[in-house]
Parts: sequence; structure tokens; C-alpha cells
Amino acid sequence: MRRVVVIGGGVTGAAIAYDLSLRGFRVTLLERGSAGSGTSGRTHGLLHSGCRYVADVEVARECYSENQILRRIAPYLFEKNGGLFVAITEDDLRYKEFFLEKCEEAGIPVREVSREEALRLEPNLNPQLKAAVVVPDGTFDPLKVILSFLASAKKYGADIRLYNEVRGFRVGGGEVKAVKVLDKVSLREYELEADFFVNATGAWANKVASLAGLHVPVKPSPGVMVALDGRIGNMVFNRLNKPGDGDIIVHHRGTSVIGTTSWVVSDPDEVTAPKEHVELLLRRGAEMAPIVSRMRVKAVYVSSRPLIGQAAQTGREISRSFAIIDHSSEGVSNFFSIIGGKFITARLMAEKMGDVVCEHAGVTAPSRTAELPLVPYWHFYG
Amino acid sequence: MRLVVRRWKEGWRAPRYDVFEVEADPSESVLDLVERVSLKLDPTLTFEHACHHGVCGACGMVVNGVERLTCVTRVGDVARNGVILVEPLHGFKVVSDLVVDKSRMFSRYPDDTRTLERVAAQVEKLWDCVECGICYSACPVACSYPSYLGPSVLAWAFHRAVEEGRVPAPVASRSGVWSCHAAFDCSEKCPVNFQPGEKIMRLRRLLLRGAVEVV
Ligand SMILES: Cc1cc2nc3c(=O)[nH]c(=O)nc-3n(C[C@H](O)[C@H](O)[C@H](O)COP(=O)(O)OP(=O)(O)OC[C@H]3O[C@@H](n4cnc5c(N)ncnc54)[C@H](O)[C@@H]3O)c2cc1C
Ligand code: SF4
Ligand code: FES
Repeated sequence: MRRVVVIGGGVTGAAIAYDLSLRGFRVTLLERGSAGSGTSGRTHGLLHSGCRYVADVEVARECYSENQILRRIAPYLFEKNGGLFVAITEDDLRYKEFFLEKCEEAGIPVREVSREEALRLEPNLNPQLKAAVVVPDGTFDPLKVILSFLASAKKYGADIRLYNEVRGFRVGGGEVKAVKVLDKVSLREYELEADFFVNATGAWANKVASLAGLHVPVKPSPGVMVALDGRIGNMVFNRLNKPGDGDIIVHHRGTSVIGTTSWVVSDPDEVTAPKEHVELLLRRGAEMAPIVSRMRVKAVYVSSRPLIGQAAQTGREISRSFAIIDHSSEGVSNFFSIIGGKFITARLMAEKMGDVVCEHAGVTAPSRTAELPLVPYWHFYG
Repeated sequence: MRLVVRRWKEGWRAPRYDVFEVEADPSESVLDLVERVSLKLDPTLTFEHACHHGVCGACGMVVNGVERLTCVTRVGDVARNGVILVEPLHGFKVVSDLVVDKSRMFSRYPDDTRTLERVAAQVEKLWDCVECGICYSACPVACSYPSYLGPSVLAWAFHRAVEEGRVPAPVASRSGVWSCHAAFDCSEKCPVNFQPGEKIMRLRRLLLRGAVEVV
């Protein structure tokens, strides 16, 4: 049986471990911290309908299709309450025609509702709103989704090693032979050999690849999120305009989260939330839902998107929203990196990554992750 | 600021307490502090975290003697004379440092566990319970009686009982609601006010009245 080492226990690595285990590979997943301790744990938890990305219809379609698949394979993980795009200003209102047109082109079912209807659905929205469109958004607890992918991978034989940090590689003869690992549970260092290595470390992808002398064109791009002490709605609040700062409010369990901002850093381990970003988010959030200004802030958090740098776009075009980097052009034939994407497109990213590994391994098994129900997260334990 | 961390690794005979001197802002979370120590001072320090905003339940620890979700606990609110002591939750087996094995809670879930609460005809909501295990750590029974189902699992069973008029047999057994000593430490420490203690009492009353069936 072919052995694959997957590096990174975010949602992408977890989904890849599942996809490849299902296709018969012997998978070991290595994560330096706990499950989801990188970017994946720290998201809004928005099951995007795709409407936010309609400027690129292909990306929007991809989001919507994954949204539908996730609802089908794991309905119990998502609050499926839909979302609203609301226009507050005249400028927002001018975006509406374009928005509705593009949603239709992308095949996403949306419905414009009256101001009264919108306020009946979500009384905390700004009563001055000028237009509202209902969309098929949802929300989730990120950790439980990641653990469900990991539980599913485990069911098909994957060995999930949390607190196991990749510290280096043994490279020779145009291949990575083994990965060097620090096991923080037993304080033991060891080497692990495999036929293929998948680098799914997101914003850390270049840091990890450089340990093998390779390069990944990832641009870590942090964003700040503010969680309120209380829940102010059920449907996701989106600003009806081009994506920008502070234009989403996502509700799950007992909280509402305002997001987000965006800048670029060189090291995702050196990121803190600037105070101005918190103020901006609260101000912009209050434009959509005035009650925001009367709420206590429960937590401020920040994480980094694994944004694709210029160079990758000239590489293999798997999708417009994520990139798979085959490092054979750098002289290493069995090492692949995957960057970009979104939390909710991880299953698709894993499917494409699985296709690439299968092609190299001469395996023909197709991906089955879109059909099989996901194993619930509590099976990860015990 | 002095962060004291209880350390234990596989194969050690006894735990050890490490002291880290760190700069800290009183408004940052205890979790951010622990994460910074792991990134800057000691990469072998292990702990569980994901959402950093109080919804996933990963980051429960005992902070200066009290169970807390560390991502929503501010340094300035809990430091005593500039010192914060963090220890793993009680009631679970320690895996490594601050990481505990929560399978005694999760493995008790029935296969058809309902993760979504229907709060209105059209509205679904994940339960407020974030599954952090803090109630186990705070509970004198859970800490001394390993087969006790535990506060959060019984609270979930209460909701099922109300909805369906039925509970699985273990819930109504000695390892279930009848072991509870009504100490209410679980409710006291629960970060989301899920009130497991009260729910266990209500489930007992339902059982005594014969209002729910045991299956
Ligand atoms: C502010 C913000 C909000 C977002 N909101 C949403 C949203 O609402 N919905 C959505 O769909 N998407 C959202 N996204 C996008 C989404 O979060 C990311 O695209 C996705 O989580 C990336 O997952 P990943 O697994 O590729 O990376 P990560 O989750 O970062 O996983 C990489 C893992 O690699 C590990 N690692 C690093 N170095 C090593 C090493 N040496 N050895 C072993 N392991 C290592 C890290 O610890 C980490 O856990 C958001 C992104 C940001 C920044
Ligand atoms: S009942 Fe409260 S303390 Fe217990 S697991 Fe749930 S959230 Fe945590
Ligand atoms: S990290 Fe999720 S609850 Fe604290």
C-alpha cells in the first residue's frame, strides 16, 4: 500500500487525509499543535453561499456547490439559517443589479425581500436598510467540522498525529525520502518515510517547504474578527457591496462575529490584531446592525489566509481559488503543496489533491468524499 | 507577568511546574499568552485551541485554581500579583501538558446525537454547550467516579427526554443521573450557563414521575 504523509491538521489537511484514506492510501497526518490550531479554527464559521464572490462567477459557483455537498454529507454540523445581503447606502444599492445578475449566472438561488420582510426576519438589522436579498448561507463551529473530517479519515485507517511538528526532510535522488518530526507528547524525534508528501500547512506552507529547500508562493494575509458577548441574529448579515472590511456578521451558538480585515505579513507566527481594526469592525458592524455598539466584546482574534502569490497563478490551473504546486520543477518529484481556498472548499481541494497524488501513484480510484456521509466528530475520540 | 504551567509528558514520573516571564497586556486572553509562550519560548508546550472566541470548547484549563475557557478569559481579570498558573482540566487523563483526553465525554454520545437545537420553526442552532469538559473537571463525582456519564452528557439527555419522552437506560442508571450529588459546581463553572446541574435535577424529577420512558 502506498504511504502518504500529510502535513498540517487544518481543514485542508484533514480533508486530504480523508480523501486519500478512502482511495486506499496509508496516510499519516502530522500537525504541530492541536486540530485546527492554525487558521482553520479561527474563521468566522461562515458556510458561504458563494454570493460574496459573485464578481468571479466560477469561484461563486464552486462555493455554492461545496455548500450543498457539505449540507448533504454532514447536515448536523451546520446552522442552516440562510443569510441576508443588505444595502444600507445609495452606493450599496447601486451594486444590487449587478449582484442579482451574477447570482443568477452562478446558479445560486437568491430572493429579494422587502424592507419589512427583512426586518421581520432579523429585527436587529438597521431599520434604514434600502434593499435585502436572502441567500443560502449557513454557519458552523470550525473545530467540529475539522474533527469530523479527521474522524472520517481515522475510520478508513489514517494515523492522525497531533502535536507532531515537522522539523526537516531527508531529500535525495530527486525525492523526499523522509520527514523529520518532533513528537511533543513523548519528546521524541523520529523520521518517517513515505512515497508521497503533501504540504497542507496553509499560511505556513513556505516555511515548511523551505525545510526541503523548496518554495511555495504563499502570502500570509491576516484578518481580524470580533466576537460579541451575545447573539444578535440567525441569518448571516452581509453588506450588499463589493467584499470589503467589516461587512459580515456571522452568528453561531451564543455569539455573533464581525469580520474581517486584510493585510499581508511575512510570518504567520508574528501576527496580532491592530486596535484600529477592532474599532473599524465595530463601526462597520454597527452600520448593518446598530445594536452592535451596545454589545460587550467577548473576544478579538486573528488568523492568516494562505493567499496565493503571483507566481503560482502561472502554474497548474486546478481552480481559480486554490493552487496545487507540484515541486518536480524544483527537482523533487513526490512533494506537493496546496494553498488558497476557503474553509468550505476544503473537500474539493482535497479531491483535486487526491487526483494529483493518484495520478503520480498510478491509482485510479475516484474520490468518494462528495457521496459518503461524514463521520460525526465525537468518533474522533475513544 | 509570570506564567506558570503544569507540565507532564509521556513517561514522566511526576509533573513539573515551569515558569515563563512574559510581557502581557491585561486585555489579552490567557490563551493568547499561552500560545505566545509556545511560539517564542517553548515549542514543546502543548495545549488545545481552535476558535479563540468561545464556541469550540477546546481551550478549557484550570487557571489559578478555577476552570475557564482561556480564550475568553482576560489576563487582567485573573492574574494574582502578576502570576497566572495554568493546569490541565481535572477529571480527564492528561495526554501532554495542558492537553487532556476528552473521550470519556465524547464516547458517551449516542450515535444519533442531535447537535442542532430547533429554537423556532425555521431556526436551527448549535447547542450553547461548547463541549469543553469544564463541568467534568468541576464535578466532585466525575473526578472520582470514572464511569459517571457526566454533567454535559446528562444535560443533553434531558433535552432529548423533553423532546421525545425517552432516555437510554444508562442515563437512568447508577452511572447516570442518580450519581449526581447536586453540588452544582458544573453549573457554577460552565462558561455558557448551560446549567447541567439543574437539568440533571429536572431529569430526575421526570424519571420519578414516570414522565419519560427508559429504553
Ligand atoms: C480572518 C479569516 C476569516 C475566514 N473566514 C472564513 C469563513 O468564514 N468561511 C470559510 O469558508 N473560510 C474562511 N476563511 C478561509 C479559511 O479559514 C482558510 O482558507 C482555511 O482555514 C485554510 O485552511 P488550511 O488547512 O489550508 O490552513 P490551516 O488551518 O492554517 O492549517 C495549516 C496547519 O499546518 C500546521 N503547521 C504549520 N507548520 C507545521 C509544521 N512544521 N509541522 C506540522 N504542522 C504544521 C499549522 O499548525 C496549521 O494547523 C477565513 C480566513 C481568514 C483569515
Ligand atoms: S455543559 Fe457547560 S461546562 Fe459542560 S461541556 Fe457544556 S459548555 Fe462545557
Ligand atoms: S479556543 Fe474555542 S472555545 Fe476557546
